[in-house]
Amino acid sequence: MDLRMKACDIRTDIVEIIHRAGTGHIGGDLSVTDILVDLYYKQMNVAPDKAADRERDRFVLSKGHSVEALYAVLADRGFFPKEDLLTYAQPGSKYIGHPNNKVNGIEMNTGSLGHGLSVGVGMALAGRMDKKKYRVYVVLGDGEMEEGSVWEAVTAGGHYKLDNLTAFVDRNRLQISGPTEEIMTQDKQEDRWAAFGWNVLSIPGNDIEAVDDAVELAKHIKNKPTVIIANTTKGCGVSFMENQVGWHHRVPTDQEYEQAIQELAQRRMQYAQDSE
Amino acid sequence: MDTIKRDPRKEFGKAVAELAETDERIVVLSADSGGSAGFKDFAEQHPEKYYEFGIMEQGITGIAAGLATTGKIPVFCAIAPFVTCRPYEMFRNDLGYMKQNVKIVGRNAGFTYSDLGATHHSLEDYAIMRMVPGAVVLAPQDVGEIRSAVKAMMDYNGPVYMRIGNGAIPDLKKEAAFIIGKGEILREGNDLTILSTGSITGEVLCAAALLEDQGISVMVIGLPTVSPIDCEIIKYAAEKTGRIMTVEEHYICGGLGGSVAEVIAQSCPVPLKIHGVPHVYATSGSYEELLRYYKLDAKGIAAVAKDFIA
Ligand SMILES: [Mg+2]
Repeated sequence: MDLRMKACDIRTDIVEIIHRAGTGHIGGDLSVTDILVDLYYKQMNVAPDKAADRERDRFVLSKGHSVEALYAVLADRGFFPKEDLLTYAQPGSKYIGHPNNKVNGIEMNTGSLGHGLSVGVGMALAGRMDKKKYRVYVVLGDGEMEEGSVWEAVTAGGHYKLDNLTAFVDRNRLQISGPTEEIMTQDKQEDRWAAFGWNVLSIPGNDIEAVDDAVELAKHIKNKPTVIIANTTKGCGVSFMENQVGWHHRVPTDQEYEQAIQELAQRRMQYAQDSE
Repeated sequence: MDTIKRDPRKEFGKAVAELAETDERIVVLSADSGGSAGFKDFAEQHPEKYYEFGIMEQGITGIAAGLATTGKIPVFCAIAPFVTCRPYEMFRNDLGYMKQNVKIVGRNAGFTYSDLGATHHSLEDYAIMRMVPGAVVLAPQDVGEIRSAVKAMMDYNGPVYMRIGNGAIPDLKKEAAFIIGKGEILREGNDLTILSTGSITGEVLCAAALLEDQGISVMVIGLPTVSPIDCEIIKYAAEKTGRIMTVEEHYICGGLGGSVAEVIAQSCPVPLKIHGVPHVYATSGSYEELLRYYKLDAKGIAAVAKDFIA
């Protein structure tokens, strides 16, 4: 299947999960979707029955609030039954509002920003020590780049030249209370990472082919970790959510839900026609 | 026992190095702190198991979690407040919440860095580290116990915080296997029980001897595991002596005394005296001076105990 169509399906699932449960970080889910779809349907060596395989690629969602996107992808890939997500955000359910490793396929508990890249550095270092071929992928938010602890991990990743590590910055230019540039300047991400010894790729992050090319390229870079600055649109795929700061953590009304589902269906049909 | 004194840091480093000879999983992480943690020889002998990161305790704690996800046992030792207070949320989320098999060791803890002032004192580590569900908190009392506790913490699968000091401390007892969660009667007595943890136990035993000379018979129980606390031995002590005092090189809130109070209040109510450092930023001076200042030397402890039972 055209991965662009898959991304439409995942976005539809995300909107459904959040509308049904009445909670979720919809804007960031929709901006990070294409990265997850490329990793989980094309690039990463992961499978539901090999969640503990020592050779598997590792994925860390450091911007853990986008967990609904991860749930949608993992369920669709068969890591757990889709019906499990009916319990999302209910007391006693393991499907909570941020990732935790009780869920099959989730490597790391996140939620507080600025933790994931350090853990990814540790996983990559272990892979090198043990001469494993696996790769480590970490997705950070652009608001998250304000956390100082991220830069400790960036420093260590560059110092140890971890070429089995690829980080993404989901650069949607918004965070909870406004545009990143107004909250705290985040410009020149490319220069910042390069100064720490990382290979830097800057791409349109909701263009799944561009994501795939970048991930592929990173695999062949030696002696440097790679960061992919994914220039994305928060709320991507639903017209009235795109680039709207208010949709960080808003739940669609029934009417908004219908419209979102329709728009995503139309977009999917477009891609289906394209690929014929 | 008597006058032999040994440096806990060096012995700690040696104990880890010995285990690493046969356990491939052990990896040592340094925050520009390896030499002072007793790892100088280890770093030279095992460069492939020794990683320097510079001064980034938050990053290292997370990196340790990542290493542990693959089956390694990372050991991270640095100045106590810098591996407890500084990266506390990494300990809570990346180690505790994920039950990662990482060993965090706070050295030069308590008042060890006496004259460097409050930034370098560690007087809240028992309290904050025991708040993380599933985390084991250890405070061995002499060098032999450090060695056996190192072995026990490596055998235990999960996050552990261990506190060690720096200045040479006396040998208190024969080295024996360390059982996590178990206390031990170090001296028998009938009038009062003193519960103690960490290297201050040496002063407690001297205090008990002083009290004996004054006709007061003190049972001393060492609790080198602060969490999970040994409820049974506390209940036994409450029943036997009817009065309990705790002594710790730590604030009087939240640490050993707080933990013991939780047990006593709910299971075996008896009069309790919590003795330690008042809840303020402490003054500075030599280690011995600070112990005297806060009545944590043998004489001070004996005086507080005498007041308590008067
Ligand atoms: Mg953002």
